[in-house]
Amino acid sequence: MKVDRRSFLGLGLGAAAGIAVSPVAIKLTDDSSIWTQNWPWTPVPEDGEITYDHTACSLCPGSCGLSVRRIKGRPVKIEGIDGYPVNNGGACLHGIAGLQYLYDPSRVKTPMKKENGRFKAISWDAAISLVAEKLKDLRRKKMSSSLACITGSDKGSVNALFKRFMDAYGSANALSMPSLEGNLALTAATLHGADHTIGFDLENSDFILSFGAGIIDGWGSPVACFQANASRKERHAKLFQIEPRLSNTAALADKWIPIKPGTEADLALGICAVLLNKNIFTPGEFGTGFSRFTAMVQKAYAPAKVEATTGIPAAQIDALAQAFVKADMPVAVPGRGRGDYGQSLREFAAVQTLNALAGRLNQKGGAFVMAAADYLSFPEAVMDMTAEAGAGKDKLAATVPQFFDTLAASSAPAVNALFVYNANPCYTLHNTAEIKKAIAKVPFKVSFSSFMDETAMECDVILPASTFLERLEDVPSGAGLSRTVVGLSRPMVKKTVFNTKNPGDAIIMLAKAMGGTVAESFDWDSYDQCLESVAGDIWDTLSDEGVIVLSKGAPNETVATDFSFLSANPAGAGTTGQGDFTLVAIDNLRLAGTVPAASPFAIKTVSDKVLLNKDILVDINPDSAKAKGLANGGDAKLTTALGTFKVKVNFDQGIMPGVIAMARGLGHTLANNPFAGGKGVNVNDTIGPMIEEGSGLDAAFGTKASISRA
Amino acid sequence: MDSALIPEGVKRCPLPKFLFGLAIVSAVLLWGVYAMFLCWFKGLNQTNMNDYYGFALWIWADLAVIALGGGAFFTGLLKYIFKVDELKNIINFTVIIGFICYSSALLILAIDIGQPLRGWFIFWHANVHSMLTEVAFCLSCYFAVLTIEFIPNILENRQLNKVGFFHHLAHNMHGVMAIFAATGAFLSFFHQGSLGGVAGVLYGRPFAFREGLLIWPWTFFLFTWSAAAFGPCFSLTVTWITEKVTGKKLVSDKTVHLLAKISGWMITTYMVAKIIDTIYWATVTAPSMGFKMSHFYSNNGFYGYWILFAEIILGGLIPGLLLVFKGTRENPTTRLAAIILAGIGVCINRWVMVLQIMAVPVMPFDTWALYIPSWQEVATTILPVAYGIILIALAYRYLPVFPQEVELNTPAKTAAE
Amino acid sequence: MIHDKKAHKFGMVIDLDKCTGCGSCMVSCMSENNIPFKEDESNKLDTLTWMRVFKLTNGKSFPDTEVAYLPRPCQHCGGWGDHGHSPCVSVCPATATDYGYDTGIVSQIYTRCFGCRYCMGACPYKARYFNWWDPKWPEGMENYLSPNVSPRMRGVVEKCSFCYHRYQLAREKAYAEEREIEEMEYQTACTTACPSGAIIFGDLNNPEHKVTQIVKPDPHPDAMNKHVVGKSRNPYVFRLLERLGTNPKVYYMSEREWVRKAGDNYLEGEWDKKKNHHGSSSSHG
Repeated sequence: MKVDRRSFLGLGLGAAAGIAVSPVAIKLTDDSSIWTQNWPWTPVPEDGEITYDHTACSLCPGSCGLSVRRIKGRPVKIEGIDGYPVNNGGACLHGIAGLQYLYDPSRVKTPMKKENGRFKAISWDAAISLVAEKLKDLRRKKMSSSLACITGSDKGSVNALFKRFMDAYGSANALSMPSLEGNLALTAATLHGADHTIGFDLENSDFILSFGAGIIDGWGSPVACFQANASRKERHAKLFQIEPRLSNTAALADKWIPIKPGTEADLALGICAVLLNKNIFTPGEFGTGFSRFTAMVQKAYAPAKVEATTGIPAAQIDALAQAFVKADMPVAVPGRGRGDYGQSLREFAAVQTLNALAGRLNQKGGAFVMAAADYLSFPEAVMDMTAEAGAGKDKLAATVPQFFDTLAASSAPAVNALFVYNANPCYTLHNTAEIKKAIAKVPFKVSFSSFMDETAMECDVILPASTFLERLEDVPSGAGLSRTVVGLSRPMVKKTVFNTKNPGDAIIMLAKAMGGTVAESFDWDSYDQCLESVAGDIWDTLSDEGVIVLSKGAPNETVATDFSFLSANPAGAGTTGQGDFTLVAIDNLRLAGTVPAASPFAIKTVSDKVLLNKDILVDINPDSAKAKGLANGGDAKLTTALGTFKVKVNFDQGIMPGVIAMARGLGHTLANNPFAGGKGVNVNDTIGPMIEEGSGLDAAFGTKASISRA
Repeated sequence: MDSALIPEGVKRCPLPKFLFGLAIVSAVLLWGVYAMFLCWFKGLNQTNMNDYYGFALWIWADLAVIALGGGAFFTGLLKYIFKVDELKNIINFTVIIGFICYSSALLILAIDIGQPLRGWFIFWHANVHSMLTEVAFCLSCYFAVLTIEFIPNILENRQLNKVGFFHHLAHNMHGVMAIFAATGAFLSFFHQGSLGGVAGVLYGRPFAFREGLLIWPWTFFLFTWSAAAFGPCFSLTVTWITEKVTGKKLVSDKTVHLLAKISGWMITTYMVAKIIDTIYWATVTAPSMGFKMSHFYSNNGFYGYWILFAEIILGGLIPGLLLVFKGTRENPTTRLAAIILAGIGVCINRWVMVLQIMAVPVMPFDTWALYIPSWQEVATTILPVAYGIILIALAYRYLPVFPQEVELNTPAKTAAE
Repeated sequence: MIHDKKAHKFGMVIDLDKCTGCGSCMVSCMSENNIPFKEDESNKLDTLTWMRVFKLTNGKSFPDTEVAYLPRPCQHCGGWGDHGHSPCVSVCPATATDYGYDTGIVSQIYTRCFGCRYCMGACPYKARYFNWWDPKWPEGMENYLSPNVSPRMRGVVEKCSFCYHRYQLAREKAYAEEREIEEMEYQTACTTACPSGAIIFGDLNNPEHKVTQIVKPDPHPDAMNKHVVGKSRNPYVFRLLERLGTNPKVYYMSEREWVRKAGDNYLEGEWDKKKNHHGSSSSHG
């Protein structure tokens, strides 16, 4: 058959017409839209039976109770537990985002060993043996006290196991990082007696005089504080917030009292002076140094003097004092921001003294001087001669900042091995450059971190800890909560996501690998078994209910107050450096200042006036900014004694002229975490420490700084 | 080489020269095609649009190109329904321009939506209350009408016309063209209007919202009117460009002056209506929602009263009046200025009614949003221009688009004109 | 057999004097609804935040500056006269968003939306968000996705649904037990997350629900603006952009006057005349 152009065209047209009339076109069109609804890369989460399981959160010292919704055992949502005696159904954004920590692919997935500057994965057995060998070696050389251990806090059984290891091994150098709890315990020890802490009955107080405490900015047990704040309206309770900047707490306060940064203690002492001067204080069990204190404070902190220091008019200081004692149930609260870093004993003691003078100790709505939670009973550690000798030696330093100071200053290695658990000193301590230099002097470092954070990156071995959602653990309350509650963290997954362990298990394994009396002191098969036995008295309730309340309400005992510390009029926290501005570090609830770094969800909520692309914005008063030729949102160079830093500027009418505020929690260098890592500046890079004499606390609330257009 | 395809009696440049020109334009076209594929395969993150700027350069281009293509339906209406026979000399060209404009609009829409493969849902799951539904239906139908109006011209190609069937088909289509013109005008009235309605019904956006007649906000009528008024100016501008590029006169002055005069009167009367509408909106509508007029023109880095001035005076009243008055209308320089200003004016109006709406904050604590298109958006917007140039070039070369071409370019006759 | 006979009108009231700006509502919503996240979320113009907390200020300079936070979910507008012609529902060309007359909730069908973004242009609250990118979760994080909410694909619009999936679960349970849903059985994720209890959610058609008792919505059209229905008779309660007639179901409450004023636009002098007018009934309070 001859196919010429005409017939070919005809055939082609005929075919086209035929196809057009058939359902092919319609079917394909419909199909294509269905493809768009079923792309293979769009996840289809598995369905199944829903259960709500309870656990306790240990991301921060708040210790909230969390309810986890699980689908066929797979956790999908976190909320607060209704009726839980800490948070009653509420949860903060970090706890809610907990699942992002659980499944974070940038977690340390297996034990790591550093070889030629790079990390290599090794097995748990190999890792434990490696660490044990190093430690046994030190012990043989009678250098057991050169092992140091830094943990996030000293509460709970896991931290107790770390301490126990140090005892049995033979070192007194177990330290915990700055924390509100630590500051409160130190204050209580200084003023009232050892082994106590302070709780603040905010939910009953009718007048909270907060010295910069970020009551809704993350202070204390955050959710409990939110709830105490939220009920203020119904209870006709007032909040006066004293701080240089309009934080969220100040914004919701009945009165915001702007104060020059770092002078909060002076104001507290000034108010004490008024109470004593006008004899409107409540006499109590005032012990040593009271009369000396009275004389000192009335002279050195007379309202006119305090006005000059703080910028608050003398009349207002007087009025504050009067208002404080006239209230039915007032309480004064110390601890700027979250109350952990950059605080001084002087400030905490001054505020607590105010509570004492107003007769608020162990009163409803006031400050409770509570016995430290004591629900764990460990058998005595088995100690051999090396252990006795080592544990008997003096601690290298009283606090972690002092520890790093000592480390930096020493030429011969004062520390030969270091454990770091639930802490990130290379990021959270002031003058991180010096901290990194100091830590580099320690020849052998072991991290128990879940994440490859700044400190973990410096270490030689990482024994990765499971996240709180993967482990059993007691979670005691603290951080200023007026009740003593112990919660139980339980695994919310059938098995750990990665090859990690409960740090309690890691320590037990390590102890056993050490052999001898160290192993004897850790005669448990597992951490779970250990917890059950050492929590003996409360274990039944704890495991059944998931929580137990050990104390609530005002302690039924009078409290003595010792005034000797303050009567010596210790020096206030000054600032280092030069410049016409004061740079202060501030706490932003949506960012995590310590470990772990903020989750992707949390970072997503951070305002574009704090973080823009990869730049941090610092708050500055528009008048101050314009005087320096700065533009709103524009680039600037911020210079402190520690260097010059690239920032952007946010005009903020809510901050005092002459003050620059920078949020904690940014400027992370995290391997493989582009959400929290590589963004902004770490404010701890910019501020140097100022060790407070007597307490060893790093009291640097800020530093002098200068700023100019970039 | 292709002289067999060229219409009788006219001269065209040598094929290599023609192809060379086409190649340059094709390069630009290919750049646009590349950007188009990027958008289709990577998604709309290739643009600089965001949640505050959901409608941006593309939607503006759509509205502008449809307004400018309004010359097609309006000229058709005038010629076939109102029997303004003089316009037969330019009607083919306005149809081609219209065809290009509408096919461009459909192409841009296919790129602009987030899930192009589901685009047909607008027909299948239509929401009768939405102005966009109306737009989609009428746009598609009108494009079909334009295709039908274009086909006879194609069939009149010298070679195609030799086929008996095509010759008779073309002839018969010409015969019934009035019906299509009427249909086209009817459809255009509605979709041009609906495009105005798209903005005017937004009672959550005080800058856009207008009161109106029954379900139609005033912007509905204003858009139809402005498309009819300014569209012919675009047709005249493209004609002028084509004449310059080809070096030939293609449409007689008489036809041009007539279309310009009609357009001038349409523009001027439209501007009066637009000014009344703007005043009413600024003094009654917007204040009733809590807004002073200055809210929409201050405190941002771009939109100021200058844009209102540009739209209404520079791009509205001035070209309108220039075309109304015989002296300036028949002066080639002032006429050219007028038709270009008119084209710019209607583009500004469409820009204002899409992008300024998106930029203006409504909640008191919300912010102005500003926007600069990405290169992918620019490339895909220039793509239809390149395609239009190619199509006009091909149509001009191979189809008898301009009935007066021969008489206007024979030396004796041109001397007599 | 008991059915949900009476139409519900789910809504909420948010106490801005209790809101601390903590962001729990935002994260709870993100977690509940499988919302993805990018490396850089600092451009607030293309970040998916169905619930977004705005920061308001009274505009005064130091030390008289005041700040408030305002959480803004989808307002689930009832449209003019509260007849279900929400600004967004009216304009969607493919009926991918619809007004539920049984719940008052404005739904969003991801599989039908073809991404024209007209609804986003119509919404004055900017409560609608577009998937400019294909959602991608870091390796392993897909394990925490909830099966109750479809993960979306790129090119479609999404927004707050008042946790409609929770309504479905509560309704199934109540239906099986042959009764009505109780107030606390259906609560949105943002409501249950708020640690300050600032959000109260419930059925505005049910006089026993807390939200209705606080808001006291007036069922008659407002005498000063006939499009407005459901205006609160509580002098401290207001709605965002109320005078546009969108009739949102999200009410806000504050004892601070500047905060209430920040909820809508006013010409000079208008606020002082308006602020004392609440509810169309002649009785006050």
